[in-house]
Amino acid sequence: MPPTARAPASGPLANRELNGEVLLDELAELRQAQVTQRDLNDCALGVRELSGVRVAEAQSRLKALATGRFAQQPALAGLLVRWAAKLKSEVDVPLLTSHLERLAMTSAVVSALRRGQDRLGRRAR
Amino acid sequence: MSGDVAFDAFTEEARARLAAWPPKSRQLFGELLEDAGSELQRELLQRAVAAGHSPAEVHAFADELRPLGDDEAYEACTLESGTEGYTVDQLLRAESDPLFAFELKGGALSPSEEPASTPGVLDLEAAGYQSRSGRRHGFDEELGVEDPAPWLQAKAERFQAESAKAPVRRRDLRHIGESVEHTPKPAKPREPVASGAKPKAELGAGAPNRLMEDLVNEATRALGVTFREHEVDLPQGLTLEAALSQAASTSSRGVPIPIALGPEPGTARRFAVLLQSQVSGKNRAWQLYDPLTQELAWANEGDLLARRELPLSSKADRRVTRIALPVVRGADL
Repeated sequence: MPPTARAPASGPLANRELNGEVLLDELAELRQAQVTQRDLNDCALGVRELSGVRVAEAQSRLKALATGRFAQQPALAGLLVRWAAKLKSEVDVPLLTSHLERLAMTSAVVSALRRGQDRLGRRAR
Repeated sequence: MSGDVAFDAFTEEARARLAAWPPKSRQLFGELLEDAGSELQRELLQRAVAAGHSPAEVHAFADELRPLGDDEAYEACTLESGTEGYTVDQLLRAESDPLFAFELKGGALSPSEEPASTPGVLDLEAAGYQSRSGRRHGFDEELGVEDPAPWLQAKAERFQAESAKAPVRRRDLRHIGESVEHTPKPAKPREPVASGAKPKAELGAGAPNRLMEDLVNEATRALGVTFREHEVDLPQGLTLEAALSQAASTSSRGVPIPIALGPEPGTARRFAVLLQSQVSGKNRAWQLYDPLTQELAWANEGDLLARRELPLSSKADRRVTRIALPVVRGADL
């Protein structure tokens, strides 16, 4: 029996800019909505548990996160619900998990470097 | 004249200050009063005590006053009316503190050590000293403390801070640059800066400075990621080729890579992030993000390795000079 070809990631998750421009746009939107780094960290830790689960289960857990832990953060809750609706195949789940983790990680790193740029500027003068 | 009887005529403030001195210092001060040449000198010493100077300072002040006549002592410890060149703060303080005025007018006190019975006040700071009552004494509690050590510690710190702020031991500060007795030393010539040499103040240059590592580790601790900062293209660091190779494996697992950019190895002028990498055939491309200008650009790895230019608006910072690579991840990486 020939090996089955691995299903390609669905459209939005196959986008080359998923973890670039798309991610930065999402971060800007979340920042605008006053979503805190702590919320993003909690989101990243929450979605780590999704690895290995099926699409339906992942969608259900993402919606549970949105209506539970992040009910008071409509921007973040909306993001999770939107992404949950875009999951089409098993390969999408780890890609989305990785994307949401990157969201928190990038936010933390970028904020830290932005804060540190002033200090770096003083050192360089 | 001996013991506390000598202080009966003192002001409340001076007596309160003396009460905080160790017994041996109080006894010594009584002897200094006995040795003082006149009532004026005794008055000056009392006011120096009331101003909060340490036993050692007051002792040294008494030694300076002793050979002086009243006129000379008055002259040495008083700023003339209409004096110019001092700050209002200095003038006001000099009115109530003859020792301060003495130093402001160029008088120098001979160094003197605290009496042997006085605890090593500066050592107490490291020991996190508290009084026997268990209370930590602050600056506002100088009066009425039962244990003099914390008060002395605060005093020593204040004195050192003020000495650093205003070098009052110099000759008359109104005439900076016209010193009569002091011959200025020639300025130390600056070391010539060879072309291509790196300013020491910049991040890097072999210094164990890990500003970027500290910043990002603090920010990503909750996510279970730890970064280690490396210099790039310096003997003690990584080559850019090795750095990017390691970065590629971690970036593919979802970790953005903080980097510093500069014109040459050992310099760091701005921070950036390697957001992600994409491989196409044998080529790898990196997406760079500058948090300050918010520029986002793709760069071929070959171009990065050429070390000639980056696709960002700042063309001077043309190469990666430092990189922070993830070393530990608590969860699934």
